[in-house]
Amino acid sequence: MQIVGSRLAKTTESHVKSLSKNGTGRPMDYSNVQILNELNSDIDELAEMIKGFIRDQVTGFKKKGVVLGVSGGIDSAVALTLCVQEFGKENVYGLLIPEKESAPSSKALGAEICENLGVSYEEVPISPIIEALGIYEKKEQIIKRTCPEYDSGVHKTSLVLPDFLNQGLLNVPHIRLIKDEKTVARCRLKANDYLELVSLQNVKQRSRMIIQYMYAEKLNYAVCGTTNKTELMLGQFVKYGDGGVDFEPFADCYKTQIYALAKYLKVNEEIIKRPPSADTWSHYTSDEEFYWRMPIHIMDQLLYAQEHKLPVEVAEKNTGLPRDTIEKAWRHIDKVRDATDYVRIAPPVYYMSCKK
Amino acid sequence: MEQIKNDILDYLKNNSFMEREKTIDDSDSLTQNGILDSIGLLELIDYICERYSIEIPEDMLTPENFDSLRGITNLITRLAK
Repeated sequence: MQIVGSRLAKTTESHVKSLSKNGTGRPMDYSNVQILNELNSDIDELAEMIKGFIRDQVTGFKKKGVVLGVSGGIDSAVALTLCVQEFGKENVYGLLIPEKESAPSSKALGAEICENLGVSYEEVPISPIIEALGIYEKKEQIIKRTCPEYDSGVHKTSLVLPDFLNQGLLNVPHIRLIKDEKTVARCRLKANDYLELVSLQNVKQRSRMIIQYMYAEKLNYAVCGTTNKTELMLGQFVKYGDGGVDFEPFADCYKTQIYALAKYLKVNEEIIKRPPSADTWSHYTSDEEFYWRMPIHIMDQLLYAQEHKLPVEVAEKNTGLPRDTIEKAWRHIDKVRDATDYVRIAPPVYYMSCKK
Repeated sequence: MEQIKNDILDYLKNNSFMEREKTIDDSDSLTQNGILDSIGLLELIDYICERYSIEIPEDMLTPENFDSLRGITNLITRLAK
């Protein structure tokens, strides 16, 4: 995804104004705002606006339909439903793109929603690509180096960060070993190993991008992205991976709004209840454990309050968190945002007209 | 204490976004001054563990212990005893 910060801010502002109940275009009075109510309101209108956006993008690109990677998660389920409502099931193509470490439920739920919507779909496993690049082997070596007691026949693994609200610890990643659904070890990753691990894991999302474009070009379709605003603000996507798409219908919708859309669109309850995850570890690792470090309804309220420059008292009333925790969380979010600017920004271009 | 602080300062000048000419107070925030980012922090933790042959327990990986020269120096002094 390549989004310039100021453009995003402008889009967000105009979106919030357009959804405000007074409808006057004047700035809302945020002093008594109930953030979750605000995010859960006017969802029917939001769905229509997003469908209009999708149509504008696809027709603007002169494409005949939409290709979508269907992960079994809530974002792609909502995107698929909206695309089908806008273009009809004949002009939408679903791709299930699992790999060896994907949860079996991802494929099952992805297939189920495609079938429920009557969408043509295909399974294209990417494990052969990942294997050919030696990704699984290299990942095993890093895990073994980090946790010497690791036994691939015994343990499942995940990458986690400490809970922010309860522990207040630094953003230091650990490998977790799980045996019989119980955590049996947590080992701190060294910087070089962490960087290599991220580079290896990101090949999965980048391989999915390649597959989606292979089908999109064959069908003369556009690739629909599923990154939401919470993920965008936190840099929770892979540059040229799941961020490598033709348009992003949810990049101005908080995750909370995706849940509201899912309920409004009557998405399968099992998909709605499933904890969101990048699904790239042998032990199913939720986004709360690695990215948000707090429940999503808290994270979204903090992001919203920060975006709208709400006084800390308003954030306190909404989240129920003490002032110092909110201020720490905002500083943490600022750091994450700064560290992930590089992921969001389009490659800077040198313009010859700028030369002196 | 002073030796440890100078050692960390040298490390930061050679390996972080800190300019060589820049001076910082013992209590200045390393993150808010743009000296350390998230990866820089992981590298600093690795350096401290190796240089002083210590293991840092997870519950000591706090902003208070790592966001200033004073915090880092105190942490190393405690663990290297």
